Amino acid sequence: MTTTAAPATTTPVVGFDQVTKTYGSVRAVDGLSLRLYPGETVALLGPNGAGKSTTLDLLLGLKHPDSGTVSLFGGTPRDAIVAGRVGAMLQSGGLMDEVTVAELVGLSCSLHPKPYKAADVMARAGIAQIADRKVNKLSGGQAQRVRFALATAGDSDLIILDEPTTGMDVSARQAFWATMREQADQGRTVLFATHYLEEADAIADRVLVLHRGRLLADGTAAEIKAKAGARRVSFDLEGRIDEAALRALPFLTSIDVSGQTVRIQSSDADATVHALYGLGVYPRNLEVAGLGLEQAFVAITEAEEAKQS
Amino acid sequence: MNALIKLELARAFRNRKFLFFSVLYPAILFLIFSSSSGSTSKVDGTGLTVATYLMVSMASFGALTAVLMGNSERIAKERENGWVRQLRLTPLPGRGYVLAKTAGAAVVSLPSIIVVFVAAAAIKHVHLDAWQWLALTGVIWAGSLVFAALGVAIGYVASGDAVRPITMIIYFGLSILGGLWMPSTTFPQILQDIAKWLPTHAYAALGRSIEQSQAPSTTDVAILAVYFVLFAGGAAWLYRKDTLKA
Repeated sequence: MTTTAAPATTTPVVGFDQVTKTYGSVRAVDGLSLRLYPGETVALLGPNGAGKSTTLDLLLGLKHPDSGTVSLFGGTPRDAIVAGRVGAMLQSGGLMDEVTVAELVGLSCSLHPKPYKAADVMARAGIAQIADRKVNKLSGGQAQRVRFALATAGDSDLIILDEPTTGMDVSARQAFWATMREQADQGRTVLFATHYLEEADAIADRVLVLHRGRLLADGTAAEIKAKAGARRVSFDLEGRIDEAALRALPFLTSIDVSGQTVRIQSSDADATVHALYGLGVYPRNLEVAGLGLEQAFVAITEAEEAKQS
Repeated sequence: MNALIKLELARAFRNRKFLFFSVLYPAILFLIFSSSSGSTSKVDGTGLTVATYLMVSMASFGALTAVLMGNSERIAKERENGWVRQLRLTPLPGRGYVLAKTAGAAVVSLPSIIVVFVAAAAIKHVHLDAWQWLALTGVIWAGSLVFAALGVAIGYVASGDAVRPITMIIYFGLSILGGLWMPSTTFPQILQDIAKWLPTHAYAALGRSIEQSQAPSTTDVAILAVYFVLFAGGAAWLYRKDTLKA
């Protein structure tokens, strides 16, 4: 694991110290410790059920940890919210019905201690043209933009976004991330949860990988991609299979031979396949496929566990 | 919080169905119920004309509608759709949401009381002293807080699907059994025995004591006070429980 270096004197924007939260027998968050520093754009990456939403709820004080401590700007989450230092957009956050978009954004602005003008907030969120529409008549993507407007109604230091592009099509997604990058460029700390590695890669300068409530990896997107970027190579061989020779292939991380079928995981599939032909064999039905994120997480988990034991 | 109250009000006054049922409907019911009796016939044992008696009943009923119907359903639905959660991410103090809802209901309940009074005075020629009109308005308006607290409590205890039938049962049960639609003295004895312990019965009785220029019965005041403590305490407890699990 690598940790982003920051001077020890800086108060972290977000501090989790050995935080655990259980629901019945499920440990949604399991001994999580992390620090975020001012100006970072951080992706919280993990498959569904990894504990992302619970982590954000704990961070915002909507849930209380069973053990451990959560701090925002050195104080409690509630203090930070009251001071207007946090803007958040949650998946579970609803909207007030039967009012217009402009009225709702106006309400958010007047509740914020350091508000922006409602018209500016709507323009930035790309909802100026639907300002007079009733909130309950919006499409999923439009509602997400309204939620984003509520999260950015004032001059907050930290913006939290939980899977913000859910329900948006590709072009809306791109426009959304452009808006969000502006927020980051203004020096704010941005933390967003996603289950798309590509989103984390394109936006974040730091990626936290969460799996089963634990922090699996913490590094730059490139580092995570290298870890999670493993590919699966499978092929059939005729005759006797020289498993020892296959095992010696470069970048191979695991191998499974059953009958005439060989399945390999490689951190650099191009080099592995090239070397495979170098062995003088004739692989048939050759397939090279990327690992899904879920499998990539399992791969990282196994690697971490192997390292520890 | 003022911004939230303003928006709650704007929304309430835009909702024509809600406005009809809370502001016009009680006055219409009043005119229907009082139409069959002449302006001099009296309700047994009260010394009040039918129109004067029904005026308090229907003004109380209107205030009850305004504070109970809208809020219970809104709170249950907004808890479910996550708006309550979203508000917790703002500096608005937690109780601000409940206070805004209650204040919003109180603003709607005032016209519902006044419309009944205007109909009674203008069409059914109900005559009262100026202090009686003012005291009636004040007592019925203030008394509606008891039911506003009940509405909030229902909103926190019921799910979004169940809230409407639950509210309806309580609303009609309290209105009819409490004697708001017809004098409870016309009920069979067993229902009369139940009625006198209901908050709606005590609520209307307070109004009638003003019409009779009598001091309110201490029993009625005590009954209303106990219900208010129960409902407001229940609402506060349910609200806190909801905040912890949300």
